[in-house]
Amino acid sequence: MTLEQASKGSRVRVLKRASGHRFASSLDGMGIHVGDELLVVGYAPFHGPILVEIPSSGVRVALGRGMAEKLHVEPVEA
Amino acid sequence: MDRAREDAGLPVIALAGQPNCGKSTLFNALAGFKADTGNFPGSTVSYTSSEVVADGRRARIIDLPGTYSISPHDAAERVTRDYLLSGKADVLVAVVDASVLARSIELTLQLLEMGVPMVLALNMLDEAERKGIDVDVARLEKRLGIPVVPTIAIRGKGVVSVVSRALDMADRPSLGTPPIYDRDVEETVRGILDRMPGGLADGIGAPERFVALRLLEGDPVIEEVAGNADPEFLRFALDERKRLAVLHDWPEETTLSSHRHAVAMDLFEAVARVVPRRKMTLRDRLDGVVMHPVLGLGVAGAAIASLFLVAFLFGDLLAGVVSAPFESLLEVLSPRASESFIWAMLRGFVEGVAGGVGIVLPYLLPLLFMMSLYEDVGYLPRAAYMVDGALHRIGLHGKSVIPLILGYGCNVPAIMGTRILETPRDRILTSLLVPLIPCSARTVVILALVAALLGPLYALGVYALNIVVAAVAGRILSSMVKGSQAGLLMDVPPYRVPPLRSVLKKVWFRTYEFLVAAWPILIVASVIMGILEYVGINNWMNAVLRPLTVGLLGLPEAVGVTLFFGVLRKELSLILLFQALGTDDVAAVMSPAQILGFSLFVTFYVPCVATIATLVREVGWRWAGVSTALNTGIALAAAFFVRVFW
Ligand SMILES: Nc1nc2c(ncn2[C@@H]2O[C@H](COP(=O)(O)OP(=O)(O)OP(=O)(O)O)[C@@H](O)[C@H]2O)c(=O)[nH]1
Repeated sequence: MTLEQASKGSRVRVLKRASGHRFASSLDGMGIHVGDELLVVGYAPFHGPILVEIPSSGVRVALGRGMAEKLHVEPVEA
Repeated sequence: MDRAREDAGLPVIALAGQPNCGKSTLFNALAGFKADTGNFPGSTVSYTSSEVVADGRRARIIDLPGTYSISPHDAAERVTRDYLLSGKADVLVAVVDASVLARSIELTLQLLEMGVPMVLALNMLDEAERKGIDVDVARLEKRLGIPVVPTIAIRGKGVVSVVSRALDMADRPSLGTPPIYDRDVEETVRGILDRMPGGLADGIGAPERFVALRLLEGDPVIEEVAGNADPEFLRFALDERKRLAVLHDWPEETTLSSHRHAVAMDLFEAVARVVPRRKMTLRDRLDGVVMHPVLGLGVAGAAIASLFLVAFLFGDLLAGVVSAPFESLLEVLSPRASESFIWAMLRGFVEGVAGGVGIVLPYLLPLLFMMSLYEDVGYLPRAAYMVDGALHRIGLHGKSVIPLILGYGCNVPAIMGTRILETPRDRILTSLLVPLIPCSARTVVILALVAALLGPLYALGVYALNIVVAAVAGRILSSMVKGSQAGLLMDVPPYRVPPLRSVLKKVWFRTYEFLVAAWPILIVASVIMGILEYVGINNWMNAVLRPLTVGLLGLPEAVGVTLFFGVLRKELSLILLFQALGTDDVAAVMSPAQILGFSLFVTFYVPCVATIATLVREVGWRWAGVSTALNTGIALAAAFFVRVFW
């Protein structure tokens, strides 16, 4: 599934990032790598961005739906 | 260049780091207030430089734009990278946000590979401590092979020793220890180095190892240079990249960065100890409200409402106090203005001075204060998050909201602020919409005419109408401006309690800009206006503009000249309106419909000269022309509408 489909409050692990050097290097810079765990904190209104937290660093990043669709994830058991 | 000559021989220290790491704060702590800081990522997009003295030694420091990486994908990254490759910097100070050390190390490693002597400023140690991150500075120094200086830039801690360590480095330059990747990567790098044409790296301005690594990473700029130098070599390097990717079963474009990530994590674990934080932090609780899909909208509404409330309350209060002495002075001057040329000029001069400090400044100051507060607290990116969904519907980007909000203060810095948007399309669109936002000068007109004479609800209506018009214009323009729209990918910074001093400094910095850039124009225009009136040209101008003012909009003929000068500064329209009508009791000579029509026209028509000049610089003549036409068209339509339907 993609991050776009993950539900609020769930924990997911990044499996794959859609290709694109630019996308990859932005994600690297913000600290989202393949294998990293993400916590889905919430959604913005009007089909807006998804807020995720990288639990290992506490950093929060907002991803628009289009961006979230490019991130393949799997659920992580709590 | 003059500056180059003046500085000949001064060591140059460049600051680089991730967005929001505190670079500009560090720079300002050293240089006095020169760079614009802000608690949102990417507030430095062109660079600022200043001469500083530390421990009696002089240096020039450069504040480069914040970058997440050194890949040349956006304007900020390109500026920073080109500067570092140009060889102009003697020392590079990598500023690192210690509270997000793990990810900051990746950029640090990339910078180390560029072959510029380097010092690390380990900033935000207070914040790191709060998060339970304890950094072993000595070990970090040893692993990176460069001096590491702990700093808390916001309190000025450690900033002088950053410069003095950097100057020591300039005296005895040495390169740190760039990361060593795993065996397969290193072998591939060696293979590429063996075949690298001589002079390629020198031409780029970097070590050969850097060039080889960039080719493995997939850097379009370096690829092009390498391809021009030796297509055969480039083909070999690209094949090697593919081979490495297959070997490690990674996507090609992330092979090297994944290895770098591994090295960075390893380093992080070696130098930092993390004591897990408490379960629920204040930030989590605040975000639970501020970024809540429903409550957050309420917060956004309240934030905007209080912005204006504070501006109006304090603005009125301040304006009353400041303008009183000017008013009594003008009472003495006005009767004589028609007597002689000198008196007319003097009156114009005093009116210009009074307009700046008595009319605009009282509203600008509280607006700037509130905005600086929102910025430094970290609210603006959260506002962008809340509205991104809605803005995408009309073809805009969530981050567009930041310049648009800043536009309520002054359009000029707001248009420059559109540089935080990644794609040219988003920048152009937002720049075209900013001039539709009533800045504090136009707020003065709306308050003095609409709110005072027609009632506060009408003023609120004007603001609401304004937002609707901007949204519709945005929707229409977005279907006209071609280019790709970037999706949102944004760091949400922690909340910070900014020291009052830093907020006030920023307010002063922006006020100062108004005082030196706009106020003189206001005074000069006001003097010219006094003269024109004395010699009677204003009647002629009014006659020329008559078809527009009287014919189309149904306004008194005397307002023609005020519209003409309003292009110089919007608040001039108000001052000149009093002057032209010969009274500040506007309600006595204009009907409510005329007052509303005039105010709407002034709110929307041609942006002021300073705004046009900024548009030309940021998006070019063509778009500046479009913006002017757009504003004027909307102004005409709105004012005409009022005339017909009132
Ligand atoms: N707690 C704490 N906050 C800091 C420190 N240094 C800077 N800040 C705050 O961090 C925020 C970002 O600082 P800036 O100086 O604007 O960051 P920058 O790196 O220049 O950011 P860009 O302009 O986006 O590249 C501001 O709100 C500062 O007040 C520090 O040492 N400790």
